[in-house]
Amino acid sequence: MTGFRWLARREVLRVSKLWTQTVLAPVLSSLLFILVFGLSLGDRIRDIDGFAYSEFIVPGLIAMAMVQAAYNNNASTIYQARSDRYVNDVLSAPMHPWQMNLGFIVGGFVRALMIGTALTLCAIPLTHVPLEQPLALALAVVLSLVLFSALGTVVGIFAEQWDHTAFISNVLILPLAFVGGVFYSVSLLPSPWEELSHFNPIFYLVQAMRYGFLGESDVSPVLALGVTAALAIPTYLWAQWLFSSGRKLKA
Amino acid sequence: MPPALDTRALTKRYDDGTLALENFDLTIPEGSFFGLLGPNGAGKTTLINAVCNLIRVTAGEILIFGQPTTALDARRQVGLAEQDINLDRFLSVRETLIYHGGYFGMEKDDAEGRADEMIDAFDLRAKADVRTPKLSGGMRRRVLLARALMHRPRLVILDEPTAGVDFELRTELWRYIRQLHSEGTTILLTTHYLDEAETLCEEIALIRGGRLIARDSADGLRERFGADSLADVYVKAMATAP
Repeated sequence: MTGFRWLARREVLRVSKLWTQTVLAPVLSSLLFILVFGLSLGDRIRDIDGFAYSEFIVPGLIAMAMVQAAYNNNASTIYQARSDRYVNDVLSAPMHPWQMNLGFIVGGFVRALMIGTALTLCAIPLTHVPLEQPLALALAVVLSLVLFSALGTVVGIFAEQWDHTAFISNVLILPLAFVGGVFYSVSLLPSPWEELSHFNPIFYLVQAMRYGFLGESDVSPVLALGVTAALAIPTYLWAQWLFSSGRKLKA
Repeated sequence: MPPALDTRALTKRYDDGTLALENFDLTIPEGSFFGLLGPNGAGKTTLINAVCNLIRVTAGEILIFGQPTTALDARRQVGLAEQDINLDRFLSVRETLIYHGGYFGMEKDDAEGRADEMIDAFDLRAKADVRTPKLSGGMRRRVLLARALMHRPRLVILDEPTAGVDFELRTELWRYIRQLHSEGTTILLTTHYLDEAETLCEEIALIRGGRLIARDSADGLRERFGADSLADVYVKAMATAP
């Protein structure tokens, strides 16, 4: 386990050395969303499901910031390690493939948790958002971060150039997050948009996080957590398989 | 006593169809200083990468001190200094050594103590807290070698360690590698400098096209090929190889 501990520590060290880029920047941009959409425009938007708009958007914004950070962290750290070939130092080490996979995932996990914690600590006094279901919230956070850290690992392993890692983030994750009910309740959408929203995987993790904070969500929390788990587990296993088989990591 | 390295019928065919090694058998006894010579593309780096778990082997077996290379304990016995500089850009010199030690199972106190030893041995004290991208080429080469030796491996693989370094550093590296060998470490060295191979290695293998052409001491090779120098041996061996 020593090798795993040091790899995890290295990933956290990388996050802390680049803290202005890895933590501060996403916290500031999400806070701006809360300030502009929640506090400035919020008074002009009627309550949603009995919550002030500023409270309503906080869980989704935190979810969006966390999953993007988890994905970006792992995609960039693995791609960079492959590109500069210092990943060889890890691949040649006496570590099991599961230790390598988990060690890399810790970095994205810790970075996202730092962002989520900072945003929650800022959002509570600003918006008075409650924390109704902390256990459900913790489970939603764990599943979401496993899903997106592992996705980042997979993309980082397959990427042939930087653009590939950014492509998934800009063209897939961000748009799906925006239409995943971060800023609105999908129950307010006309048909077929409401039904189509249920095919968006990010919708479920936003709902799971919203249930954790507000105690309310557009779908049952069991369904939201179940769908998130159903996506997280195979994605994690995919990343694990890449380390076990050496596919794309070793010639 | 099992050999330091034993490859049996090792074959590697890359995804693009290139056959880099074919039924390659090589045994390197423990404690020897072994040189591997061959032109670019001969299969030297492929062999090293196979031993160090950096490529997927097509067929064959690799044993390190009698254990398959897939065994974690076997991997712990090997230290590798790659041909190209591949240092972690986010770490300082000291961190590079300590984290490498950690990956290879060293506990914190041991890794920190050993890193200080390596920093002194390779004259890196003034640069210990400098991040690796800010080092000169020679300094990076020193860090690469120090990293390979950090976890006290019994088999050290040096893939062209003196390529592109100045005479002074080359001499210094030679001195350190010799000292390491005198302490019982097995050394596998690849180089394009024939004088380096002749000066340092007890035994030399010539490879081309993924096959072993000959192996012997420098004197033995000269006698076998009827040549006056190792350079002549190399030229004759490569010319006669299929």
